[in-house]
Amino acid sequence: MSQIRERGSTHVYKVNKISKEEIEGMVSLCVHEQPPFCSAACPLKLDTRAFLKAAAAGDFKKAMALYEKTAPFPLILSAGCEAPCESKCRLGEIGESVAIRAVEAAVARYGEAPRGSGVFRMKKKKTVAIFGAGLFALLLAGELEKKAYPLTVFCEQEDLESFLHCETGFLDDTAFALERERLRGKDIDFVFSCTIDRAFFEEKRGAFDVVCASEEIRRRLFPDAAFLPELMLCESEGVVCGEGSGVMAAAFGAKKAALSVDRLAQKLDPRNTRGQEGPCETALYTDLSEAKALRRVEIPAGGYTPEQAIEEAKRCIQCRCEECLKSCAYLKHYKKHPGLLAREIYNNTQIIMGDHQLNRPMNSCSLCGQCSVVCPNGFDMAHVCHIARQNMVSTDKMPLAPHEFALMDMLFSNNEGFLCRPQPGFETCRYVFFPGCQATAIAPGTVRAAYEDLCARLDGGVALMLGCCGAIGDWAGREEMEAQTREFLDRELARLGDPVVIAGCPTCKKELSTHRDLRVKGIWDVLLEIGLPRGARGLDRPAALHDSCGARGDEETQKAIRTLAENLGCELVETPYSGDRSPCCGYGGLAAYANREVAAEMTEKCLERSDAPYLTYCMACRDRFARQGRLSRHILELCYGTDAGAPPDISEKRRNRLALKKELLHELWQEETAEMKLDFELNYTDEARRMMDERMILTDDVIAVLQDFRQTGEAILDAEDSLLVARRRVGNATFWVKFTRDGEDSYTVRRAYSHRMNVVKREG
Amino acid sequence: MAGEKNYYTIDPQGKLSCLKCGVPLVKGKAKFMYLDNGFPVELPVCPVCGFVYVPEELALGKVASVERALEDK
Repeated sequence: MSQIRERGSTHVYKVNKISKEEIEGMVSLCVHEQPPFCSAACPLKLDTRAFLKAAAAGDFKKAMALYEKTAPFPLILSAGCEAPCESKCRLGEIGESVAIRAVEAAVARYGEAPRGSGVFRMKKKKTVAIFGAGLFALLLAGELEKKAYPLTVFCEQEDLESFLHCETGFLDDTAFALERERLRGKDIDFVFSCTIDRAFFEEKRGAFDVVCASEEIRRRLFPDAAFLPELMLCESEGVVCGEGSGVMAAAFGAKKAALSVDRLAQKLDPRNTRGQEGPCETALYTDLSEAKALRRVEIPAGGYTPEQAIEEAKRCIQCRCEECLKSCAYLKHYKKHPGLLAREIYNNTQIIMGDHQLNRPMNSCSLCGQCSVVCPNGFDMAHVCHIARQNMVSTDKMPLAPHEFALMDMLFSNNEGFLCRPQPGFETCRYVFFPGCQATAIAPGTVRAAYEDLCARLDGGVALMLGCCGAIGDWAGREEMEAQTREFLDRELARLGDPVVIAGCPTCKKELSTHRDLRVKGIWDVLLEIGLPRGARGLDRPAALHDSCGARGDEETQKAIRTLAENLGCELVETPYSGDRSPCCGYGGLAAYANREVAAEMTEKCLERSDAPYLTYCMACRDRFARQGRLSRHILELCYGTDAGAPPDISEKRRNRLALKKELLHELWQEETAEMKLDFELNYTDEARRMMDERMILTDDVIAVLQDFRQTGEAILDAEDSLLVARRRVGNATFWVKFTRDGEDSYTVRRAYSHRMNVVKREG
Repeated sequence: MAGEKNYYTIDPQGKLSCLKCGVPLVKGKAKFMYLDNGFPVELPVCPVCGFVYVPEELALGKVASVERALEDK
């Protein structure tokens, strides 16, 4: 069998299978990072979700810290805010929205005020003055103090208390007292009892870099100056000013004004680089199906107690779109939402020199496309990973190691393991049965029974083709190998008279359907047309039907399988994530070859849906579930009353294919195959077999080593365990076998291992 | 290439011998090569025929991790 070339030089210029714009377009479909509805509605951009989470956990200190970040005077804001967040809360659509403002009020009242970061804050060099009093002036003072500006407030009130009283009559005594203490604690210089007129203003302003004024002062001192509300600025006067009434208007105005102060202090145009201000739209998706506690905790006259606030905060469902992370073991493993992971994987393909750290994640996706179905916007991570693989292959940067075994298996299927014959007695055929490489490897008896049944019951001749459809090459991103497979299969099909393909595997059906002018149907469709064969019987207990990822988007196949199962008398149990939403068993996309751990998690994810035995219609799924110890049967086993038994190891899978080919050639076509007989006896300990399966070492590799040893006599004798160790380079790997010699021509293999690096003796 | 710098050294400590030549292996100079990279190492080598032995723990440990790192270059 031919060898696959290793990756070449790394100095290849990039080839872009996908443009940056396309990937950005895809990334934008992921709404994971979109703000929740409550925060989007808040002009002050309070992180309401995090706030409610902290409050629900009873961590009022943290909740308070989050709230104070947005509101320098929390009791003022919570008392006067119009709560636009509550009207957008998604719970409001199915019940009552979370009483966010009441929770905020309780946190502001009972929460401990943060005592600063404990780190000495350097004051800014630029100084700011505020003229006037009222809500805007107060809140702006709070914002600017937070930004560490040396700040002076000139007001007409005679003391701090009367300054705070201005426009805050809605505060009760307790709240007022608390806010007064908070204001006292702030590093602000006050100049009380000023008479603010133009002369006073002009006299004082020269000492400051930026000057601000309340709305009242603005109207008094420069009533005719144009005011820009989006910047909170009287540009002709160069003064940042207030406008509007109410707490929310003042708080939002103070935020905008503080940003304008920043820009003016840096002598920059206040119009630029302001980011998104005020309420915004959000595209976040929230699943409301599991929302409970739809009624609010009643708000008593004096507001929530801490306990009531915690209870109410617990009603928040923490809106977050994690539909794909919930369903996909791969994304869950990497703990990244697909928007981020897709961008990282794309960037990985763009590296000319340096580490491609995302190779493994890129190769670990099963390419099953479940994400594209569960994502409310159809984000297709499989497409991103698939294109990235093709990109890496085309730039010759794709390592061969993760996929070599599978690719060699594909070559094996279409060389030594390949069989293509018309039905005995026919030159060309109306049909060809294409069971797929995994069915032949795992359940050869079932394949034979199915073929004989089709031959007996279909008119026009049924040819048989044992081989690989090319999906493996496609999954590995090797377009050239996939194309070669396609050409090869098309040539063979042409020899059979271009028959209708009866696929035994949904992935083969999908892959072969992409061939030009090829008509493909599933064997399940045929069995529904011609009826079940004699002896067909369902399972004697309820089973969970696992839909193959190859049949995603193929509603006809999914339906046909269900009808077939019903005709068999199977009782199916409902499972979450079935039909189009079905997860991959871990074989798809060659995930099991590239990342065994993630593939195992995928299998686990499939199996956690039900305790019942699994009914599958893809042999790879059957195999992976059975390997996990779960009773699983392929629907064809039930149709033909066969049992493939315990899952074969990697060497048995190849042997099964060769044996079936040999048996059928002999019995149906009276052709004999030359059998290669070993001229020595080779035994394996159970440990060696387990080890070989785990380390992807075939008996053929071991035989090659032993043959080499018998020819050259080259081996190492380890005195410690009295084992002989021989080696041979096969393809891109060196295989080592530890064995004992039981007789002249008899050996027992004890251990085996391999490495890809080539080792040579170094002279000098 | 870093001249004579040795990345890895394994001493056969008299436990290993070459079956063909019937002599104990000695610590000898060898080189790992993979994907256009070469690493000088010292491994158990037969002083007569030059058979280089790569022990299992080395193959599955250090060699495997270096392979992985080079594959992702």
